[in-house]
Amino acid sequence: MATLTKSLSRPTLASHLYALWQITVKDWKQYWRYPLNALSTVIQPIVWLTPVYFMGMAFSVNGRAEGFAGYAGTTDYMSFIIVGSAMTNFIMAVFWGMGYALKSDMDGGVLESNWLCPLPRPLLMIGRTFSNMITTALTSLGVVLLGWLFFGFKPTGNVLPALLAMLPMLIGLYGFGLAFASLVMIMRDANTMVDIGSFLVQIFSGANFPVNSLPRWLLPVSLAMPLTYGFDAVRGWLLGTKTLLPIHIEVYILLGSMFLLVGLGLITFKALERRVRMKGTLGQY
Amino acid sequence: MEPTLSAVPASQSLSHTTLGAELRAFRMVVWREWAHFIRYPSWIFALLIWPIIFPSTYILSARALSGPDGSGLGRFLQTAGTENFLGYIVIGTLVWMWQNTILWNVGFALRGEQMRGTLESNWLSPTWRFSFLLGVSPVQVIIMLVFIVVSILEFSLFFGLRFNANLLSLLLVVLASLPSLYGIGFVFASLVIAAREAGTLVQLVRGLVMIFCGITYPLSVMPIWMQSFAEWLPPTLIIRAGRAAALTAAPPAALQGDLLKLLLFGAFWLITGYLAFSFMERRASRRGTVGQF
Repeated sequence: MATLTKSLSRPTLASHLYALWQITVKDWKQYWRYPLNALSTVIQPIVWLTPVYFMGMAFSVNGRAEGFAGYAGTTDYMSFIIVGSAMTNFIMAVFWGMGYALKSDMDGGVLESNWLCPLPRPLLMIGRTFSNMITTALTSLGVVLLGWLFFGFKPTGNVLPALLAMLPMLIGLYGFGLAFASLVMIMRDANTMVDIGSFLVQIFSGANFPVNSLPRWLLPVSLAMPLTYGFDAVRGWLLGTKTLLPIHIEVYILLGSMFLLVGLGLITFKALERRVRMKGTLGQY
Repeated sequence: MEPTLSAVPASQSLSHTTLGAELRAFRMVVWREWAHFIRYPSWIFALLIWPIIFPSTYILSARALSGPDGSGLGRFLQTAGTENFLGYIVIGTLVWMWQNTILWNVGFALRGEQMRGTLESNWLSPTWRFSFLLGVSPVQVIIMLVFIVVSILEFSLFFGLRFNANLLSLLLVVLASLPSLYGIGFVFASLVIAAREAGTLVQLVRGLVMIFCGITYPLSVMPIWMQSFAEWLPPTLIIRAGRAAALTAAPPAALQGDLLKLLLFGAFWLITGYLAFSFMERRASRRGTVGQF
């Protein structure tokens, strides 16, 4: 009797796209299953922006942060923060969408069965962020609108180049997200890792302040992160802030890091995924 | 002759709960919490890294707002009454993190069991059900005390923070804070059983604390109505008293007003916590939603 060595599945591009769509629909349904989530999406920007606004007031005279201008090249502290907050939402979406989603599948006991599907596993991971990305885009838009209505957000530069500069940053972020999710597979405590990881990235990439205000011993960490140049370039285009390097060089760095991060992310994910399968710890938590 | 099972009236429970049994059950809940805490090695990172990274966001922002020449500090001195924004922010954020940890850990205690599917079976045991919630607190208090010590050490080491503290006052502030902070945690845990969306509720409550309690700025920069509301939130009082005790060596007598209010809030929140738990427990049992998630 002949041994069956060939897979019975016939994956195609269409079947992959269909799977992505189904994952997105599933996550979207799950999101709306808990309606307070949507309320949280509205509340979050207010919760993070209001204290920052008051803190800015404690250091400003007539709404102008003169001290801050020494580092950022603008006295408009709130616009600086609002751009940072809107972009940070995407970082969070990747961290929570990839790292935490993996853990919740482990907890729910569906990870192993999902991974039996004839689909590339990185695709499954990326699929988990799509629904999240839609809500994130809406939230970011909300942040900008709120900022404009209540906190005096005033973009003075070009929107289109700023958006284009974000693209390689986001794609690179996906690569990083894959590597990060693989670590969650090994460590299994996603909450702490996602929380700490996203916070550190947020701090060192300059989401909340210009990185040149960091103490000298911390500055190299910040300069080594591609995201720093993403934040810097977008603010440079949008608000006319003082950038760390000429903007076109920052865009080259973003493009180069995009390929590097995606490559490294895929390699790390494949290696660690193989490791957990060999050890049989995929379903453990 | 020994009574047979059929001889026991159906209305009478077979369990014989005693104080000793309740204490043993409580001890086991505490032990379980501890075992669960140390089960995941990432707690070491959390305990070492969280105390420094959360306040750092605000400290580094304040540093940027001060400017390279320190020109923003004059305005901060006017509004906050101190140039020591480092100590000011560290105390504020420590209290916020304390409240946040309680909301996540105590607040999630029952929800976590619901998710794991152990709540129903635990509640079937002849144990005072409030023990399952109360037993979470001792481990949390110990972890939080270690957390505070680690924070102080790290800020002294990395940022050169120096305190001018009255230790007795500081101890009194910590002790007076416990009832209200944990009482709020108990109310929260009970709400989560009904709402089943703990994450959102945490964000809502910690958001209120973050906005109103002046963790990184003086209350005087807020509108008057916000300042009045803030006075009703225990973390506002804890932060104010904590800053006075840790940064200006205020004696206990100077903190008398805030400490007294904290104790009153504490009594209120503990009682409310117990009543909320009893109500939600009955409600969930009647509706059959104890095991749902």
